[in-house]
Amino acid sequence: MNRLALVCEDIASHASRLKKVAILADYLRTLNDRDLQLAVQFLSAGPALEEAVNHSLFELEEKTRLSIGHSILRDALQIASGWDLDTLRVCQAEVGDMGETTGLLMRGISEARPLTLSDANEIYQRLFRTRESARKRDLLVATYRETDALTVKYFVKVITRSLRIGLMSRQVEEAVAAACDVPHEAVRDANNRLGDLARVALAARHGELSAIEARLFHPMEFMLAKPLDKLEDLPSPAEWIVEDKYDGIRSQVHYQSGYVRIYSRGMEEVTGAFPEIRRAFEPLPGNGLIDGEILAWRDGRALNFNVLQQRLARKNVRATLMAEVPVVFMGYDMLLHNDRLLLHEPIEDRRRILVDTLGLLPSPILVSPELAAIDHSEIDRLFTLARERGNEGLLLKQRGSIYEPGKRGGAWQKLKRPYGTLDVVITSAEQGSGRRATVFSDYTFAVRSPQGFVNIGKAYSGLTDVEVKELTKVLRAASTDRFGPVMVVRPEAVLEVAFDGVQKSSRHKSGYALRFPRILRWRRDKTPGECDDIARVEALYKATVQ
Amino acid sequence: MQVEFRETGIYLPEIDLWLDNTEPCSATWISHGHSDHARGCHGRVIGTPATLRIYRMRLWLEEGEEEPETLPLEFGECMDWNRAALTAYPASHILGAAQLLIEYGGERLVYTGDMKLRQPLCGDTTEPIPCDRLIIESTFGLPIYKLLDREDAAARIITFARGCIEDGAVPAFIGYPLGRGQEIAHVLCQGGIRTAVHGAIAKFIPVYEDYGYQFPGWEPYDARATAGKALVVVPSHGNVLEASGKNIRLAYVSGWAALDNARSRSGAEQLIPYSDHADFGELLATVEKCSPKHVDVVHGYTVPFAKILQARGYSAAAPLRESARTNIEAEG
Repeated sequence: MNRLALVCEDIASHASRLKKVAILADYLRTLNDRDLQLAVQFLSAGPALEEAVNHSLFELEEKTRLSIGHSILRDALQIASGWDLDTLRVCQAEVGDMGETTGLLMRGISEARPLTLSDANEIYQRLFRTRESARKRDLLVATYRETDALTVKYFVKVITRSLRIGLMSRQVEEAVAAACDVPHEAVRDANNRLGDLARVALAARHGELSAIEARLFHPMEFMLAKPLDKLEDLPSPAEWIVEDKYDGIRSQVHYQSGYVRIYSRGMEEVTGAFPEIRRAFEPLPGNGLIDGEILAWRDGRALNFNVLQQRLARKNVRATLMAEVPVVFMGYDMLLHNDRLLLHEPIEDRRRILVDTLGLLPSPILVSPELAAIDHSEIDRLFTLARERGNEGLLLKQRGSIYEPGKRGGAWQKLKRPYGTLDVVITSAEQGSGRRATVFSDYTFAVRSPQGFVNIGKAYSGLTDVEVKELTKVLRAASTDRFGPVMVVRPEAVLEVAFDGVQKSSRHKSGYALRFPRILRWRRDKTPGECDDIARVEALYKATVQ
Repeated sequence: MQVEFRETGIYLPEIDLWLDNTEPCSATWISHGHSDHARGCHGRVIGTPATLRIYRMRLWLEEGEEEPETLPLEFGECMDWNRAALTAYPASHILGAAQLLIEYGGERLVYTGDMKLRQPLCGDTTEPIPCDRLIIESTFGLPIYKLLDREDAAARIITFARGCIEDGAVPAFIGYPLGRGQEIAHVLCQGGIRTAVHGAIAKFIPVYEDYGYQFPGWEPYDARATAGKALVVVPSHGNVLEASGKNIRLAYVSGWAALDNARSRSGAEQLIPYSDHADFGELLATVEKCSPKHVDVVHGYTVPFAKILQARGYSAAAPLRESARTNIEAEG
């Protein structure tokens, strides 16, 4: 663990991603099997409860996660360091990370005894098994007092799962691959099946990656669609399965004999927010993993995404909200069925199994209708129909294609087209970062209203570097106030923005916000008086809610 | 002795003297040349010769304003002032920085200004001055701040610069225009590394040279010719370098670099926690050795640091009640 701490510090102090991966790979290579497994476990997922590791397919995630509240960590630090609560609070506020604060405050106090990875794991296992807060705290105090302070920093960071060394999970996979001399793709695929990089690392070292079987109840990576800018660019239109593109929450349902979990695209578990979907899957025999979309749904069509968001924020949902915002799960792909991984089956076969499986289920479970077209003009007509049904556009899936997790390879294409455009005026601008640090590249913009200009959104992409530079000059000349990186300007510069929808929002004064706004062009030919007004925004919003 | 803490500075009414007043006044002591201490056109200004020289370089006279009368006070020298005796001691902060001992009516008051106890890379060593009342700063007045001493800081600076140059990258050090910038440049030049110095920092190199610090072979910074050199630039230029797309690796030399979040704040990958301010341990040691009857804490984490002193049995106050990190942008 002492070495792991030093390696983490070294990784943090290099900005280059390649260098970070190389440092980690060099370290992993030197470890024996047991330590390799522990180090990868700590870096990728935090401590794991050991008894659970051998469950192959069916594993309850909540049981295997070590959960220690902030107050226990703070109490332990208070006792171990001797600092009063007030001082600890100020320190913690400045540092912003419990592990780092603990490491900093234990300097000069702890005994600097070495801690091996196995020692650390033994302590984590004891923390798992201890129910009582006071005993967990005492165990932490003893560890803080005995262990070298830098090691304590990372001992705590592993618990809080906040390493903050600029190492993304993808890079840990790369380092594992490099350390075990296997291709990154192979590690990535195996980890996508198993959801346990520590065991994948061990298998990679022993050449057993291909033997790793899929396991349910960890989010797998989603296949992504490539935006299709022009419909005419789509080759052989008849070779594609056509579906509506829904504006909901992309989700995976995992089920096994009455046990159901739902994961969203952000790899978050959202089962609690959608009890009617969980219940609908409970009667299904066998096991499976279905890819689809959760939608707010009434009278046979999807409601605005805005409506759906009311459901997402909840851990537990009241019956009234379930009645106000009814939801459905719109399934469109099946990745695993009765222990058989289907990723490499062609889409037609996967869809057939999906229909066979879900066809037995009543609402709120639906299967996304499969459409087809023979030429571009028919696809165009389907697009218009999808829009009339209140959906975003179309999703096109190449016949015969396999499911490629985490890829945006082009076997799936999405046809969206902007929902509309507005002429808006810039009211404030913010300095960019990186390459755009010296110019104002992020703009907040407004539409006209009886109360003057009211803000409706913010966008930062779409203009060329030259335009941004010029616009910066214009905005500087119109500046009226400055708050750090933000400059308030007189409403003069007009932009034409495109967006994918309108939703209600309390963030902006207009009461509305645009979805995915992007700048189409800088309208030097227009004056602020020629901007669109709030009435047009209201009309656009109403068109989507009804 | 009466002490009034005001927004613009500290006033001693019985002897009609201000300490580090930032607004024009009849007479002020200036502890050192940083612009949050040495500014404003005053009637009379007392400071060490180096501080007065920097103050004059930075002074911008409005029309009709007269050049202030400057009264130099060398380290260890004593000056009579309105029935008080003023003595300057090194503060080990930037070049010329001084603590001031004021003896009046049998009472000893020490104003540290910005200070540290450990020897700086450029500057004099100091000792805490026993006194009845101590006015001390607390820029790094929390136990999370523990900073490097000069040898370790110099070694880290040199190692990082050599490592980058060997890898074909350009090391760039972010330092403040007065103090840190010259210290970094001094260490690099002495270490035999070709060093290019940003203009805002280079401006003060002649002052440091006159006080005996060498910068062998330093050259002015030129964005078009950086290969094989170490750069020393001001914080605002760090962003420009980071964005330049060249193979630049940034190091941040500052007390704020003691925390990992300095990486995202500064954009630097290498953090070298070295400052011209005292760290927490030095602040505590200063108070202990001065053994004052009362302590006033005036910059930085004043409220928490005063509380920490109270818990150790000192009479301590934060008269201006600055809360945490008011001087986040200050030179640390």
